[in-house]
This record gives sequence, C-alpha cells and structure tokens, in this order.
Amino acid sequence: MIRLAVVVIAVWLVAAVAGVIAPLDPSRISLPDILASPSAAHLLGTDDLGRPVFDRLLAGAGVSLLVAVLTVGLSATVGVALGLLAGYVGGWPDRVIGRVIEVFLAFPGMLLAIAMAAVLGPGLDNVIIALAVMGWVGYARLVRVQVLSLKQSDHVLAARALGRGDVAIVRCHLLPLVMAPVLVEASFGIAAAVVAEAGLSFLGLGIQPPAASWGGMIHDGVRYLLVAPHLVLAPGAALFAVVVAVNLLGDHLRDRLDVTSRSTR
Amino acid sequence: MVRLAITGLLLVLAACNGRDPQAIVFAVASAPTVLDPRLASDAASERVNALLFDRLVVLDDRGEPVAQMGRWQQLGPRHYRVELVPERRAFADGRQPDAHDVVATYQSVLDPALASPHRGGLAHIESIVAVDPSTVDFSLSRDDPLFPLRLTIGILPAAQARQTDAVETPRGSGAFAFQRRSGNGRLELRRRSDGQRLVIEQVADPTMRTLKLLRGEADLVQNDLPPEMVAYLADRPAVELTTRPGTTFAYLGFNMADPILARRQVRAAVAHAIDRDAIIRHLFGGRAEKAESVLRPGHWAGVGDMQPFGFDPETSRRLLAEAGFGPANPLNLVYKTSTDPLRLRIAHVFQQQLADVGIRLEIASYDWGTFFGDIKAGRFQLYSLAWVGVNSPDILRYAFHSASRPPAGANRGRYHSVVVDRLVEEAEKLQAAQAAVLLREAQRQVHDDLVYVPLWYEANVAVSGDVSGFAPGFDGNYLALQRVMKRDGH
Repeated sequence: MIRLAVVVIAVWLVAAVAGVIAPLDPSRISLPDILASPSAAHLLGTDDLGRPVFDRLLAGAGVSLLVAVLTVGLSATVGVALGLLAGYVGGWPDRVIGRVIEVFLAFPGMLLAIAMAAVLGPGLDNVIIALAVMGWVGYARLVRVQVLSLKQSDHVLAARALGRGDVAIVRCHLLPLVMAPVLVEASFGIAAAVVAEAGLSFLGLGIQPPAASWGGMIHDGVRYLLVAPHLVLAPGAALFAVVVAVNLLGDHLRDRLDVTSRSTR
Repeated sequence: MVRLAITGLLLVLAACNGRDPQAIVFAVASAPTVLDPRLASDAASERVNALLFDRLVVLDDRGEPVAQMGRWQQLGPRHYRVELVPERRAFADGRQPDAHDVVATYQSVLDPALASPHRGGLAHIESIVAVDPSTVDFSLSRDDPLFPLRLTIGILPAAQARQTDAVETPRGSGAFAFQRRSGNGRLELRRRSDGQRLVIEQVADPTMRTLKLLRGEADLVQNDLPPEMVAYLADRPAVELTTRPGTTFAYLGFNMADPILARRQVRAAVAHAIDRDAIIRHLFGGRAEKAESVLRPGHWAGVGDMQPFGFDPETSRRLLAEAGFGPANPLNLVYKTSTDPLRLRIAHVFQQQLADVGIRLEIASYDWGTFFGDIKAGRFQLYSLAWVGVNSPDILRYAFHSASRPPAGANRGRYHSVVVDRLVEEAEKLQAAQAAVLLREAQRQVHDDLVYVPLWYEANVAVSGDVSGFAPGFDGNYLALQRVMKRDGH
C-alpha cells in the first residue's frame, strides 16, 4: 500500500512540475469545445468554457503542492518556535502561549480559515496566510509538550551541568528530538492543507479564476454533474488520491519513527 | 405479515411527503418577494402578481396596450376616462371590482407613505375620480398620449389598497386565488376557473430543479437553466421543451464619466472585439438573438434596421491604436458582474475576446447587493446587466435621459445627450404613431453613441413534465398557467 502511496505522491510532484514547465494553456477558452467528453484530443475532456481539464488538473496540482508546502513550512516554523519557547522557558511566556493555543483550539479550524480568508480576501497568498494562522497551533502544542518532558531528561540536565547555554541546549539537545513527531505532524498537515485549500477554493475564497485549482474545478463542475460528470470526477479523484496517499505516508512515517511501537513489534 | 407491515409503512411514508399529486408544481429559481402589485419591482414578484391581480390594461406581444379590466378613451390631452368592462372577474371575496377600488389603488401608489417604485411613472396624475361605479377619470398635469401604457398596476380591493404597508394575503381579481405562503419560498394558489391547485416552489439550484422535474416532483420549470441543462432536457422523452423568443435584453454598459471610456473610439474598440455570434451559438446553444436596442424590432417603437457593431478584431486594434493604446501601453479595464455562474462565464469569454485585441480586462464579481449598489452609484468602468420584461418605451427616458441618473432613474452610465433628451421629451407629447418615429431616432442615437454594447435577447425556455398547455410568455410571464392542465386529465 505504501508503495502505491509513494507512486501517487510522485505523480503529484511530477504533475506539479509539469504544470509549470510544460507548454500548457489551462486558461485558454475555446467556445466550440465546451463540455467536450474525454477523447484523444482532450484526455480528460473540457470544462464549461472549453478549457482542457487535463491541463487544469496539472496546473491545480502545482497550486495544491505550493499551498501545502508553504502552509506547512510557515505553520511548522512558527509552531515549533513558539512551542520551544513555551516549553523551555516556562513561566509567563508558557502561560500566554498556552492560553492563545487554547483560544485557537476552541474554534473549528476550517471555520477560522474561512473567516480569515474572507477578511484577507481571496488569492493564493491569502490562502496560505489563512491556513498558516490556523495550522501553527498543532505544532506549538506538540513541541511544547515534548519539550516539557525532554527538558528534565538526563542528557539535557547533563548538558546544563556542563555549562552549555540555553540556545545550544535547545538547538543541539531538544530540537533534533522533537523533529521526529513534527515531521509526522507535518505529513498530516500537508494532507490537511490540500483539503483546506480545495475547500476554500470551492467556496470562492481561495484561488481565483481563471487560475486553476482542484477545489475551484470541483465547484465549477458541480453545476454540470448531470451533463458532464468528468468535470467533478477528475479533480475529485486527484484530490482523494493525494490526500489518502499523504496520510498513508504520514502513518508509515509515524510507525517508522516511533521507537516504542518498533520495539514492541 | 411482514409484507403487510412494509406496505403500510410505505403508504404512511408516501402520505407523509406532503405532496398533492393533483397539484401543479412550478419550480422557480427565486420566489416572489412581495405579493402586492403596488410594491412589486422584481421579475418574480411582477409575474406572480399578474396571476393574482387583474389590471386595467395589459401589454401585448408588441408592447401595445390592451384592455383587461378597463377600456380607456382620451377625453382631452390631459384627461383619460376608463370604463370597467362588465365581464371583469370578481375579487377573491366574490365582490366585483368597481371604480372605488381603482381610485384607491392608484391613490395609494401615489401616496409617498407607501413608497411604491411605480410612483415615479404616475407622478403626473393630478386627480383620480370615480365618476360612477364603473367609470374612473384620470386628470394629468402634462400631456401624455401614452398614458394607457401606465395603467398596468394590479387592482386591489379598496380596503386593502388603503393599507400603507405591503399586503400579506392578496385578494385580487386575477385568474388565481391566494391560498397560503410558507417561509421556505413555497406559495400555494388555486385557479379560480376550475379549482386547480398551483404550487410555486423556490428551488434555487438549477440541477435540483432539473432533477425534480425528471423525478416528477415538479411539473414546470421556466428559464434560469444553464444552456447545457436545457440541451440535456431536450433529449429526455419524459419532458417537453418549449422555446420562445424573449424580450430580456442583455447589454454591456460603459461608465461615460470615466475619462478613458468617455472616448467613443475606446467604446467602439470594445464593441468590435466581442464576438456575439460565437457566444450565442456556443454558450446559449443558439437560444438567444442578437440585439441592437432595448426594444425588440417587433415592438411598436422598435427599430428593425439598426447597423450592428460587428465582430471585427482588426478594426478594434486600429481604434485602440488611434486612441493611443497598444502592446507598450495596454488598455486596462475593470468589468463588474454578479456571482451568477452564467454571467461569470460570459465575463471570462469577454476577458479572452478583449485580450485578443490587447485589452486587459479584470473581472470583479460581487454578490448581487454589492454589485448593483456599485452600478447605481457609478462605481464601475464596465458592467453587464439585462433589462427583463421591458415593454414600455418609457425605458428610453428611464435608462438614457440625462435627468434619469440614479436614484431618479437608471441612466447608470451617466450618459448625457441633448439630442436623446429632446427626442424622448417630444415623443412623450405625441400620439403613438408619431412618437414611435422619434423614439426610433432616439434609439439610433443611443446605439450610435455606444452607451451600451447591445448583446442579445435571451429566449424564454419552458420545460414541462406531467402537464400540457404551457408555453412561456414573450416577456417571461407566467400567464400560460391559466391554461395548463395535468396530463391525467386534472
């Protein structure tokens, strides 16, 4: 199963790159080709403006990958930094960050992202910001808990007794140890970001037409479900495959990095 | 025993779905907002009110006035007499409408407290007097040979007409009687001639409307379907599709107060860049006709020989170059539209067609309220809208006279033409035949000035399931519901 997941992710990456470098024209309108069924001329058919669904699928792959990577990167950077600060320093910074985390967790994540996107306005950059604002909390909570436990461990106490500074302890003795769970969290975060971007674009708050995104393609295709189901099936299948594959990879990664589960196996 | 139980359960469930199999269900995109002809201004309300309330005068396919409740005669340039016809229908309470009901209705429309949107068109009525129970005299403050065209407001019983708020339970003398209305956009009426029940049900999503029609949960659908859905339904043997040329006039409007668009050269470049034939053929499936003016050529004041601004990208590029725009200095324009999917599709086609001649079009789509508010306030460069159900030549004053800028009228593009103002004003003082000459001239001037890029008249499309006898009205009205019958004989 994991091999299949790796293949799907590889195809996603290749599609994303192809969407950028291949001579495609996903936004070119061709009125005579409106709602054409899949054929040799149009591999996945055309949409309601005669644009090739295949080209738009590749362009959408690039968008989803970009949003996923940047969102997770931004969320993880902010979350890990705040988690380390809260867990290691403790005291009032921990209390403040802890309360902020609780406030964010009190809101349904997607609802918060919708509100943020509505306030910031639609667009690729604003989608990334909205999702990152929602996404850092998980990393911060995870890292804080890990650091609270690790900072009392023998190797940290030994490093402190040997006179190493706080920055060095965090960088050399804590960060490498918290990165494993962060990596697992990030893999799930990628799947969540892909779904969230598609959701926001479906609601009209994400990538704006004529740019292609999988959520936007599904949104446009829903109106033609009776007459041209390929408009929904193609991006829907792509979205489903990528999310399942990334989640499977995340599961696999967790199993590999989890020392406890490996020793009991 | 188990079979009996299942059968019983199914029967109970069937009875619980609340559907009356004898009722005709008409699925509409938007329910009427107001059931009061004095206050109705949206198309859905106008069409339903026409079923509930008879009017003194109705307009025929050519836009000419025809007596419904009353026959008129002009006693003087400013004096009209309306005689109620003896065969007029009674109100829902059984009482026959009389002159006092007519007087009360028109007086209430003129009452500022009611804030009727129709008040502006009737503001020149000086007095309304009931001469006898079946005769009403209208005195005007100015000559108005076209006054009968304005007598199209549904007549309410005097007691209801004296209310200064919207009527909740209409009791008109129309072909249908009001039964009940529920909050989910469902309206139940009863046909007075044979007691046939009619349910007007709001189903906003076109796919759901189509599915309801195919599943027999709705009997009728009219317009507001994507062209592809119409083509899909045309292939279904279970439903019948009827198409009729329509009067809904779609146009692309310019802001003449914009320093760039104030130049006719630029407007002409836009007009020549748009391939209307391709859009009609591919986007509307041929169910629209090219338009040149707001009034159809078949209208009594319509123009049949207007020279169109044809699709000519070369001319468009040349005009742009003459106006100082080119690859080094591209023309950037913002086009505002609603979030309606079909309007957005059309916007994207415009965007590409204009890009092909070197015009960069930015599409800004907003919810209806924001969009329409911006258009009325003049916050736009380009926009697209449609005039729905236009029959009266009053539209020329309303849309193009320089005194008709919002909120006084709908001259949204801030157009100012001394010639058009004079032609419209003079036409208002003449009898129909002479007025038509001036009105045609005004339309030619408007066309030549390119206030709008005239686009097309959208056809009316009706799809009927388990009923017969329904055909869409020329202006999208629902009057054919008076004759529609269930196929099983009901």
